[in-house]
Amino acid sequence: MVRRRSVLASASLAMACAALTPPALAERTLQEYRYFRALSIDLQGRIPSRAEVARFEDPTFDVGQWVDERLRAPAWAERMRTLYMDLLRLEITTAVQFNPQSIVLRRQQILGPDGTPEYVYYRFNQRRSRPETDGDFCLTAAESGVTIDTTGAQRGTPTRVTAATLAARTVLVRPWWLYRDYRAAAPADRFNASAWATRFPNFAPITQLQQEPDGTTVTAAVRVCREEASTAATGTVYFANRPRPATPPFGRIINVPAESAWARTNAGMPLACSGDVAFRSSADCGCGPGLERCMPGANSGTNPPAFTFPTRAPLGPDDPLDQASQAQDDWNLFWWSQEAQRFIEHMVSDDRDFRDVLTARDTWVNGPLATFYKHHAAASCCSASAITLGYTQPEGLFDPARVPSALLPHDTATWTRVADRGPNASGLLTMPAFLVKYGSRRARAHVLYNAFLCRDFVAENVQLAPSTEPDLMRRPGCAACHATLEPLAAYFTRVAENDWTWLPAARFPVMNPMCAGATAAAMSATCRAFYDPAFSSASMGMLRSAYGSAANADAGPIGAARAITQSPEFAACAAENVASAFLGRSLGVDDAPLTSGLSQTFSAGGYRMRALVRAVVLSDAYRNANNLDSDTWRQGASP
Amino acid sequence: MIRCTFALAALTLALGACDAAPSTAPAPAPTPTDAGPAPVQAVPVTSIPGHETLTQDATRKEGPRLMPAETYIRSYLALFGNLAPLEVQTRARGADGSALFDAWNDYLAALGLPDYRVDQPRGNQTNALMMATFERLGVALCDRAVERDLRGTLPLAQRVVFAFDGTPANLTETDFAPRFDVLHRTFLAYPARLAQTDRTRRFFALYQGTVARHRATGAPASRFTPEQAGWATVCYGLLRHPEFHAY
Amino acid sequence: MTDTSRRRFLKVLAGATAAGAATQFPLEALADPPDGANEFFVFIHAAGAWDVMLGLDPRNERRGLIEPPNTDVLDAASLDQWTDAPLDADSQTFRPVRPSGSNITFGPAIGELAALYDRLTVVNGIAVNTVSHPDGTVFAATGRHLAGGRSPESSIDTLIANEFGREALFPLISMNFPSWFVGPNLDRRAMPLRTGSVDTVGRSLNRSELFTSAADRDAVTALLTREARDLAARQQYPDVFNGMGLQYEGLRRMLQSNLRAVFDGAALASLYPTLVPTAAGARYRFFQSGAVNAAFAVEAMKRNVMRCVSFSIGSFDTHNTNYRNQGALQQELFAILARLVRTLDATPHPTLTGERLAAHTHVLVVSEFCRTPQINLSGGRDHYPNGSALIISPAFRSNFVYGSSDPDQLLPRPSGMFSDGMRAIAPPDLLATFLGAFGVDPRRYMRDGEIVRPLLRA
Repeated sequence: MVRRRSVLASASLAMACAALTPPALAERTLQEYRYFRALSIDLQGRIPSRAEVARFEDPTFDVGQWVDERLRAPAWAERMRTLYMDLLRLEITTAVQFNPQSIVLRRQQILGPDGTPEYVYYRFNQRRSRPETDGDFCLTAAESGVTIDTTGAQRGTPTRVTAATLAARTVLVRPWWLYRDYRAAAPADRFNASAWATRFPNFAPITQLQQEPDGTTVTAAVRVCREEASTAATGTVYFANRPRPATPPFGRIINVPAESAWARTNAGMPLACSGDVAFRSSADCGCGPGLERCMPGANSGTNPPAFTFPTRAPLGPDDPLDQASQAQDDWNLFWWSQEAQRFIEHMVSDDRDFRDVLTARDTWVNGPLATFYKHHAAASCCSASAITLGYTQPEGLFDPARVPSALLPHDTATWTRVADRGPNASGLLTMPAFLVKYGSRRARAHVLYNAFLCRDFVAENVQLAPSTEPDLMRRPGCAACHATLEPLAAYFTRVAENDWTWLPAARFPVMNPMCAGATAAAMSATCRAFYDPAFSSASMGMLRSAYGSAANADAGPIGAARAITQSPEFAACAAENVASAFLGRSLGVDDAPLTSGLSQTFSAGGYRMRALVRAVVLSDAYRNANNLDSDTWRQGASP
Repeated sequence: MIRCTFALAALTLALGACDAAPSTAPAPAPTPTDAGPAPVQAVPVTSIPGHETLTQDATRKEGPRLMPAETYIRSYLALFGNLAPLEVQTRARGADGSALFDAWNDYLAALGLPDYRVDQPRGNQTNALMMATFERLGVALCDRAVERDLRGTLPLAQRVVFAFDGTPANLTETDFAPRFDVLHRTFLAYPARLAQTDRTRRFFALYQGTVARHRATGAPASRFTPEQAGWATVCYGLLRHPEFHAY
Repeated sequence: MTDTSRRRFLKVLAGATAAGAATQFPLEALADPPDGANEFFVFIHAAGAWDVMLGLDPRNERRGLIEPPNTDVLDAASLDQWTDAPLDADSQTFRPVRPSGSNITFGPAIGELAALYDRLTVVNGIAVNTVSHPDGTVFAATGRHLAGGRSPESSIDTLIANEFGREALFPLISMNFPSWFVGPNLDRRAMPLRTGSVDTVGRSLNRSELFTSAADRDAVTALLTREARDLAARQQYPDVFNGMGLQYEGLRRMLQSNLRAVFDGAALASLYPTLVPTAAGARYRFFQSGAVNAAFAVEAMKRNVMRCVSFSIGSFDTHNTNYRNQGALQQELFAILARLVRTLDATPHPTLTGERLAAHTHVLVVSEFCRTPQINLSGGRDHYPNGSALIISPAFRSNFVYGSSDPDQLLPRPSGMFSDGMRAIAPPDLLATFLGAFGVDPRRYMRDGEIVRPLLRA
């Protein structure tokens, strides 16, 4: 009996082991297995599966072919994206705020006619024809019992607003953040958390935006001040022709808006409703159909919470690591970064000339980005000084007319290529993620120099003596770096600092006789916003940052892109960055033959990353190197 | 880190020597003069005592680099069954009060993930806290894998980690080896027989020690059988192994 | 490297060598440096570049390029030490703050810390020579500029951890500080333990006992330690695997200690309510997490489980109307420092009987550079190549200011004779001095920088 059991047991064991033991295959060395694992990590972004290892063991396995297949799959693009994100860091800290008043909908709680608390959405500083509420909340203290200060804090005790007043001053709207079909006459496709998680991943208004003040009643429509609910695409300049008192009238906390000379001169002039100018100067312009030009918020603050979405997405928005309720402006900051990252990924996965990363006019946008470019981007323009100089309708780096009209704000996972953003577009250099992350013109130039030419501005240890020399290209101690930096920074002269406002040459010539003045006192305040007295004369004003190179200023960001990509260091730097990332170390003089060969491969191959990466992973440095000390190596421990 | 200079330098000297005349006694060095130190005479390496039959290691040397944090996470997700990160978070946490997992955001900085928002660079060197995090995550994955693969009824072909049949009681090393090889291939992507240390034996001892501890009188209560606990620790060891993280 | 910079490099190197030769790091010349093994270190990075005119290098008059902080651009009402002084018809500037007995004049943002003037060493007029955040941050922490996106040398917290922290359970915990571990010559135990916050450390140390036990996991770690060592013994470049071996051992020690309360922000707040107030209205407006980090430092020192803590507080990068908060931001940072010092005064040293932690804790606060003396078109201040630092350390001369900036342009002025002549102090000098204060020859680690003796307590 015992013998039979042991025979059976042995047979079972043999069968189990047979199932576990792979068939006789190529005797790969440890070095080969390690190489395959490294290839998987670098080209697939993960360790190889057991099945992949088994296929590798097949004697007919062709490493080169396998590499080529991986280079046609999307995963390696993620690796390249992280490589360039490590260099460019195109994510914006939440300390940066993009919440212009023209797009921020605050939410104020009032008492309805029956005493039930209700929300009313409004824009702070909205123009209204009623002097009691011009620039303020649309209900007066007499009508609602409350007044509101600049921060949105409420004062007073709410009283019931009559039905007639509500009907006169406010409108019910089915807004875009709750309705997919918000443009329809009777929107019905309302937000549903579980269904929309599949239809529109990462799109979820926070709970407070879905409910009435009682915290239970589901919001079917939102109440909005009547002016904000306007769907007009154009309006007219509003000039109230009323004096502005020293103290706020009508019991307001906030004074009535000041009337500008420009508004007086241009009263009645048509205006497109996008942009800051229309918001400040027109009582006809609102938030558009379904309030699509504005961003919702769950309180009356300047940057209220709005949506639940990832705070960080190192694997991409399709694989979020968290979901959190975030402030209104963080929505745009998040998608700006995703645009830049997706653009980089497409550069490599589509096997494009990598120089396009700086020069190309195309991009990829999804719904939130389409909404931003169509409706929000213009909100950063134009300041009072710009208006005075005649710049009232911003000329974008991304022409809103080229934004795909089919994309709606909910289309977070639908990415559409825009073949041509417009004549001012230039790769990453004209994307908000880049322009805001590197807010100053010098910072933009510096990061390009560093990331794409592999060069540093290293200051010598000289003393910075006081000097009155404004030209940093000549100033002792500064010249060593700024002789190069200023001309490079000049390429960004026509892009405002800290945002993407374009300063067209027709309005802002490099040398402008209308803005003459060799001192701050001699130049008007309006001109000083754009022109630098330090480099101006009694007859001509010089555009700020243009002194480094007027020609570069007129060339614009595309000029910077050409200068960088046409530099002989561009290819070598790309080769160095990729080789360094894949070898996991800095490169030294001993690597010169490797980087030189890779650089030639890259440039001769049309600046394609696929060819460069292929050359790296098939190189001797990557493929055949080992970490065995020589004694171990001699003992036959296999490399 | 400095790489690949030493072997190459030795090679250069060796190759230069190899072109010289066959091994003879080296010529005496010239006497130093006031003109400076005497030049060093090149000699064939084989003329140096002990080097006559020494094989020259001319191979290129590269040290290990740390797997990027994103790759670690993607590998982790794949080992969990190719699930999405938030799904893994939910499953790893479970609803059993096990406190096996917190949230991804709790681990990202320790894993070396860069934070571009505040220009925090990538961590590409290990430290003790990173090791602690690798252990935390490894325990969660392996314990859930034991639950899924060894306690459940999942067919062999669908098991991501423990893709082998039942575990006999009193496992011998002969029984252990092929099973261990499956895990070794899963995590380290090569057969255990090629390991440069006495790995199979070490891990078998680990397995046996765990089983013994769990069988001992007065052992702490566990939701695993002793054998399952044994395999869990083997899994920990491979998922936390230096060769898993460095490549 | 250009020819000019190569020559400069060689000159600096020669100078440094000469300095080294001249001083031979005579330990006897430093009055009995403290034994670093009994000392604790806190490094703080005021991230984003602070406006020194509001704090450590006050300016309150229009002169040259300088537009002083004033009520037009700053929220002065929030500053406890702000007293109006006339500037012009529409705005007020501040009266400098100089407590009785203080040799240091502060700006109004100094807040609570002014009362502790006798514990402070201020260094002004630091020649920063960069206005790039990443470069300035690395320069401030390591004494070297970025090269190819990386630092060529280790940061000061890593060096101190390498010298004095190798045996500690946590040699160095780094919370968003610009910590760098560079080169093969440092002990891998000194590798900065990088984390985002104190709480996340605690979570990484959590373990469930429902499936396997601590003994099981310990056995795994022991096996892995042997594996790491055995593999390293066969390697051409063994430092990575040897380091992992050390780190496995460190992990075992960490897990054997019950440190739950140390890595719990809420627990730390309840242990140190003055340092980390939680009541509504008393909480910090900006830097509650920074205060938690400071409390963590105290608790970790008290339990003798840590040698160095480094963390970042910020951001002070106020280019536009956010400059209005610059004073309040600094006031909060200085308040945390003041409360940290007071807490250390009240906390006994873990191993030196009768001693307080304050007598053995050394705090260094740096920022990457400062802000322009001019106000820009957006109502803020931009970057400027000048710097200030703050040291709170018994090893340093207190109630003392070293260095200065010029009165017209806020640029660093020559502060002393160095091996390469009369010049302003630079970040590597500050860091070299910090090492020298504890008997460490900076030349072991740093290419640049000289010990500035006047900074040290005689």
